[in-house]
Amino acid sequence: MAFDLNVNGTRHTIDADQQTPLLWVIRDHVGLTGTKFSCGIGQCGACTVHVDGQPVRSCSVPAAMAIGKRITTIEGVSPDGNHPIQVAWKEFDTPQCGYCQSGMIMSALALLQRRPNPSDADINTAVTNACRCGTYHRVRQAIHLAADLMKDGRR
Amino acid sequence: MSENGISGINRREFLAMVAAAEGAFILGFWVPPRANAQTAPRAVWYEESATPEINAWIVISPDDTVTIRIAQSELGQGVWTSNAMMVCEELQCDWTKVRPQYASANRDARERAPEWTLKVMGKGATDPKGGGEPGFGNRDRTGVGGIPDSLYRRMRTNAASSVKDGRYYLQLAGAEARERLLLAAAELWSVPVAELTAKDSIITHAPSGRTTTYGQIAGRAARTPHPNPETITIKSPDQWTLMGTERKNLDVPAKVTGSTIYGIDVRVPGMKWAAVKACPVYGGTVKSYKFDAIRQLPGVRSAVQFPIPDPALTRGRIFSGGVAVIADTWYQARTALDRMPIEWEIPPEHAAFSTANMREALVASLDRPGRVRVNQGNVDDAFARAAKVVEATYSTPYLPRARMEPGNATVLVTDNRVDIWIGDQSPQETRFSAAKITGIAEENVYLNLCHLGGGFGRNGNGPQAEQALMIANAHRGTPIHLLWTREEDFIGTTYRAMGMARLKAGLDAEGWPIALEVRTAMQEDGFGPESSFDVASRYHVPNYRFSNHTTKFHVPVGTRRGIGQAAHEFYRESFMNELAHAAGMDPYRYRRELIARTSLPYKDDMIRALDLAAEMSGWGKALPRGTARVIALEERGAETNRMATISAMVHTVSVSREGKVRLERVDVAHDTGFSLVNPLSVKKQIEGQIVWFYNDAMHQANTIKDGHIVENNFNAFKLSRIDENPPDINIRFFKTGHWLLGMGHDRATSVQSAIGDAIFQITGKRFRDLPFGGHDLSWT
Repeated sequence: MAFDLNVNGTRHTIDADQQTPLLWVIRDHVGLTGTKFSCGIGQCGACTVHVDGQPVRSCSVPAAMAIGKRITTIEGVSPDGNHPIQVAWKEFDTPQCGYCQSGMIMSALALLQRRPNPSDADINTAVTNACRCGTYHRVRQAIHLAADLMKDGRR
Repeated sequence: MSENGISGINRREFLAMVAAAEGAFILGFWVPPRANAQTAPRAVWYEESATPEINAWIVISPDDTVTIRIAQSELGQGVWTSNAMMVCEELQCDWTKVRPQYASANRDARERAPEWTLKVMGKGATDPKGGGEPGFGNRDRTGVGGIPDSLYRRMRTNAASSVKDGRYYLQLAGAEARERLLLAAAELWSVPVAELTAKDSIITHAPSGRTTTYGQIAGRAARTPHPNPETITIKSPDQWTLMGTERKNLDVPAKVTGSTIYGIDVRVPGMKWAAVKACPVYGGTVKSYKFDAIRQLPGVRSAVQFPIPDPALTRGRIFSGGVAVIADTWYQARTALDRMPIEWEIPPEHAAFSTANMREALVASLDRPGRVRVNQGNVDDAFARAAKVVEATYSTPYLPRARMEPGNATVLVTDNRVDIWIGDQSPQETRFSAAKITGIAEENVYLNLCHLGGGFGRNGNGPQAEQALMIANAHRGTPIHLLWTREEDFIGTTYRAMGMARLKAGLDAEGWPIALEVRTAMQEDGFGPESSFDVASRYHVPNYRFSNHTTKFHVPVGTRRGIGQAAHEFYRESFMNELAHAAGMDPYRYRRELIARTSLPYKDDMIRALDLAAEMSGWGKALPRGTARVIALEERGAETNRMATISAMVHTVSVSREGKVRLERVDVAHDTGFSLVNPLSVKKQIEGQIVWFYNDAMHQANTIKDGHIVENNFNAFKLSRIDENPPDINIRFFKTGHWLLGMGHDRATSVQSAIGDAIFQITGKRFRDLPFGGHDLSWT
């Protein structure tokens, strides 16, 4: 039974079982591959997207829960790759392999939207994504820089 | 089951799939000859050049874009950037115009390297003007060590060697192209080439004021051979202007927008997805499976059984046989597979293995005579006159790479050609597998490299490519994208072997070691006894014996980041701390003196590393109760006067009364050799390895029960998060007089020994089995 999803401001008609995890609908039906599969059990956060602004581990929720809501993926963060959080990420040359970074950025962005000036403790609590390359040192610095850039009203 | 092993596809479906794939073949694969998969906007992906290349590494377009072909795989270590820097340094092109692209693995195997790349210039590792001492391993046709004199010399990514092995010929490639661009301009303007200069992609003839760009002259340069390329030399570090400076990684912009194409992201027209289950007990196979139970499920196309991949294609390792379900989407394939009854044929002797009995076997092997690898002086006599004997047994568990991207590969087999899309650290090995599995000539195997979502050792050394090839070979004409679940990834990876070491030292009356005996135990195919200890103890001990003790286990082991070095440095540096405590001496001064007493060629560099790290850390200054500093030496190659990498680290560690360990601060003194190529990438690698070995120290272990791996997802196999990351990382570099041996895999191993000793200093409890996280570390 087809259903509609609003992904990055565009309506997509999906021909799949509504119980399919949101991750696989985004990757294989909508065709956006920036959101990653890694653990499949909601642990690592590589699949993090926003649903109505809330960070969600998309591997572990059915697509049905996102019907009628706004879904934002890494591809929807900015049209040109220059959202302040992306600028900050590039400034610190943060990614290594990069595989976890879409999810990492989406978790950090949700935090910044809720708490424009996060403390280190806020970051520890909200950004619980796993990175095997060990980019945490730069992720933390990039989040603080992104907070500054966003306060400057650049986006 | 039909004859070719495919069940469930009727002839009409099969023909329809073939037809769809052939359509794709014409559109997507045949013109241009190298396959073109997803064309996502801004995707970093394969492109055929419209302009002729200058040499195999360099294509310059009319708009001055410089495409630099990279024969190593980008897995986060920054090789796309560092390799491009080495070419660009000599080419003198505008760095902002550089675009890396993967080199063709097929072409690498077909063409011979240019003669001018085959002779390494200079006088070895200690000549700053030379090429250093690249190591090409045992090069052979199987591709494991590389194909002899293949076009790109070295088309694999391992052993932290991409920069050290590639530098001289990548610089040469840039220099050769620059010279030919100049020759072409000289010919065009009929002026002596000596009157021309090249900088930032512009060629200038100062006497006449004429200029041209690389893009304008590139077509002509491509037709202009160099008359005597063997005379071309490369710049030494004192002449570098780009190399040695911090450069942001060229592929980072794509990684913050989600547009990087990893193997998992490959989409090919007509492609079907494969989910697999291999027997959880290594060496097991499928006894039976009931495809009828799932064939009606949505999207399901077929199921195919596959045998244990031929060990000749997996470096002798025995994985498992299994079964794949093929469906329109991976989620359909995987959910159907989960519902399909499968019976396994499990070798009972493998099912009998569990961590406890494997540990007992390792301990027992330590008591048996082993293979003596080093025997210096008279160890037994020295022990007899020792004032004090210290003995300790350490252990390290099975550990996988657990890279974030689960194993995957996309394969299309037709009757005379194989196309593979994969993130792979050893593409020639995979091409060899493809030829053997399909029977199609290796020259018709095309492998398209993708970025890897973490590598840490031939992308797991696992058989994802071999499985995908077997499945796709049974579905000729249909591109098959195999993807492992995380649980399957824990079966398909290789492990660093579980290891054990018993160290025994005899100290003289002052506390200095006069005898050292080291016994290490590991399964006999374990990668580890070959590292570190077998050369010598780095610290001065006049009487020293080292032996390996092995037993047989069934777990496939392989080249995990740090290889055996990481475990051995844990044993060695932990024991040095224990000896210093037994001697009542400062562990930093104790190490310093024992290095000073050696005659190792790089002992001054090791002392310098220790001194600098100690100074950076505030060594000796008071710390609050519950906090300790621990120092360690890390080196590779320091016993030779060839290439080496030397660092020392001081880790400041706290343990709360409740037993919570925190790595508070890391001070790193790191050797640059003559020069680093991209110091920014080196810093990132060090930061990352601190996290890697923190996880080894605190959290990670795989145990075996009834022959299978127990921890098979990130709920049970823990990865540290940002809250555990040390808030304070200080890195200082110091210059030495040799080329660097690489630094991508065995830095920061000392997090392990440091946390162990800090726990001891703070709590009084000594733990010698990794990881520490499971122990009660509370104190009062």
